[in-house]
Amino acid sequence: MLGSVRLDTFIQLTLNGLTLGSVYALIALGYTLVYGILKLLNFAHGDVFMVGSFIGFGALQALGGSATPKVPVWLLLVLIVLAAMVGCALLGVAIERFAYRPLRNAPRIAPLISALGVSFFLAYSVQLMFGSEQRDYDAFSISAGALFFNGFDIGNVRIPLLRIIIIVSAFVLMIALWLMVTRTRIGKAMRATSHDREAAAMMGIDVDRVIVFAFVLGSALAGAAGVMFALRAPTSATIGFIAGLKGFTAAVIGGIGSIPGAMAGGLILGFAEAYTQGYISTRWSDLLVFSLLILFMLFRPQGLFGSPELKKV
Amino acid sequence: MKRVISAALMTGAAAVLAATAVAQPAELTRTDAAEQQGVSCNSTLKIALVTPLTGGAGFLGNAQLSWAKYAVKTLQKNYGLKVRLITGDTPVEQGPAPAQALAQKYVADRSVVAVIGPATSGAVAATSRAYFQAGLAHISPSATRTSLTQGAAKEATPAFFRVVGGDYIQGPHDARFMVDKLKVTKVVIIDFQEPYSVGLADAAQAFLRSKNVTVQRESTSVRTTDFSSLVTRVPADANIVFFPTQQPEDAQTFAQQLLEQGKRAKVFGGDGANSPDKFKLAGSYVSNFAPDISSFAYNKALIAGWKRDNPRASLESFGPPTYGAVQVAMNAIQRACKAGNGRVKDRRDVVRNVKRIRVKNWILGGDFRFSTRTNDPLNARFYIFQIQSNGAYKLVG
Repeated sequence: MLGSVRLDTFIQLTLNGLTLGSVYALIALGYTLVYGILKLLNFAHGDVFMVGSFIGFGALQALGGSATPKVPVWLLLVLIVLAAMVGCALLGVAIERFAYRPLRNAPRIAPLISALGVSFFLAYSVQLMFGSEQRDYDAFSISAGALFFNGFDIGNVRIPLLRIIIIVSAFVLMIALWLMVTRTRIGKAMRATSHDREAAAMMGIDVDRVIVFAFVLGSALAGAAGVMFALRAPTSATIGFIAGLKGFTAAVIGGIGSIPGAMAGGLILGFAEAYTQGYISTRWSDLLVFSLLILFMLFRPQGLFGSPELKKV
Repeated sequence: MKRVISAALMTGAAAVLAATAVAQPAELTRTDAAEQQGVSCNSTLKIALVTPLTGGAGFLGNAQLSWAKYAVKTLQKNYGLKVRLITGDTPVEQGPAPAQALAQKYVADRSVVAVIGPATSGAVAATSRAYFQAGLAHISPSATRTSLTQGAAKEATPAFFRVVGGDYIQGPHDARFMVDKLKVTKVVIIDFQEPYSVGLADAAQAFLRSKNVTVQRESTSVRTTDFSSLVTRVPADANIVFFPTQQPEDAQTFAQQLLEQGKRAKVFGGDGANSPDKFKLAGSYVSNFAPDISSFAYNKALIAGWKRDNPRASLESFGPPTYGAVQVAMNAIQRACKAGNGRVKDRRDVVRNVKRIRVKNWILGGDFRFSTRTNDPLNARFYIFQIQSNGAYKLVG
């Protein structure tokens, strides 16, 4: 009996970690894409995630809300995710154009400070426009709780439909990104630009276009992550800061600049958080997460999948 | 890469340090009453409302603001005063720093003769000393932590008053309801590592343990929004999860996630979770310091007037006590003006008069006066509601 309870707890915590980790991985991918190409830590990325959750909320209301949607539930979910991805992609383009491009040849600290400024600008703009209150998608009301109560069982643990949708969607997006970067022409251009920006430009690659494309992809993934997060928990103008920090930590753990690393880092972080909260204490989880960041910085700064920085001597 | 990340971390740390430095209160010195010019009661006097207008608890601050504005508008003529309401925002997510910065500002502004708030216990604890040293009365319509009026002198200053009962009533009242009415045997208590939540959780825990109820204490950050793993820790045989949050959406999310994981326990929120628009999962419980004020016939005109000014707002529980707090403050200012022959000679005169205020037909029911022992209202009580399937709050205790 006790053994089965322990197994159930483990399965439930693994499920919690996987759900959370999928969202972190999507955020981390945005950090990694931009860093890989520009060597810039886009600290506004967490706030792009927040804006995505608000765009999704707006789209949900425009489509009739959770309780009385005007379209079938599957289409509703697809549309709100798409709206957030498109909205955030446009936002990413604007951020790159106005906050980072003018500083491209400035000392490295300048775009970092600009990124912090954009982060505050986005958070407070959303607060001014939509108020400070939390926004609840009320996914519980969709089909009278079907997304929470339908699903399948592993032992005594119910795997709800909403979690399945979140995890599968996140993995589909990650795989699509991976295929795009490794199998397409623009992906090849991104890898070339990441390897050596000047050489790529000399080979005829439109570096500006590649950089914009990286922002489009990263921001779209953050938008999708924002909706996935907000389907399970209320969102507000202030959630971007912590979400961004977690995404950044995941990217560092995986090896910033590495796409598989960001995916793995996100999942590791999700599991670490869930197991710490479940087996030790909820009050320790953030401490552990940020201790992981420090440990990686000290002992493996290139992360799990990154390669050490080589210096010419 | 290491260098870039180090630079980023240093930039972040510098920003945090700069923000903290700005927010640190300067050394406050007691000003001799004789040195003060005083303020003419014919001039416009300022009352400051200190409450979270933004952030997760913004809903309560905005409800308080609407009632404070209405009180100033309708009562100033009755008291023969010209009053301007000024507001200070204290988002709960930013900790005590915004409240400390505001306290410095109001202490320095001699035309501020009373403060309504701070609304949250954490903000009161962080600023009461500064207000006390400046002799500035601060009357909270919602800070319930017991020690604010009954604790050590450092926290419980004579210049702080509240017009609603404290957790010394709410905690045991909620816990007694769980024991007597719900017959609980196992309760999970979650605090959010901030003064309101910890104080209320402690008060309920002490009562439950005294009745031999098994209590599992948990703690999480106020920034947590996904409670899945915390829900996993709730034992299958727990009857109630006591959840003293200041963000009702969190209570709603937690209750939904309990259902998602097949847990039987019901969520029991404190006054901070009392919001029929946001916490609405049927079967859950919530307590509050205010009853439904529309149940008192003498409030009819008052509510109608407020609704005219706020046609889109709903009658929430955090607003009405703010009207009462402004009423007490204005009454005390009027008395100070009378005693000073048309001048508030010293803001301490307002403090001295607050305690003497009596209000008939109090907005929260009955007549109002302060306890002679503490700066709490006499005969304050709390009410418990159960959420019905249509989302309505039904008074059950």
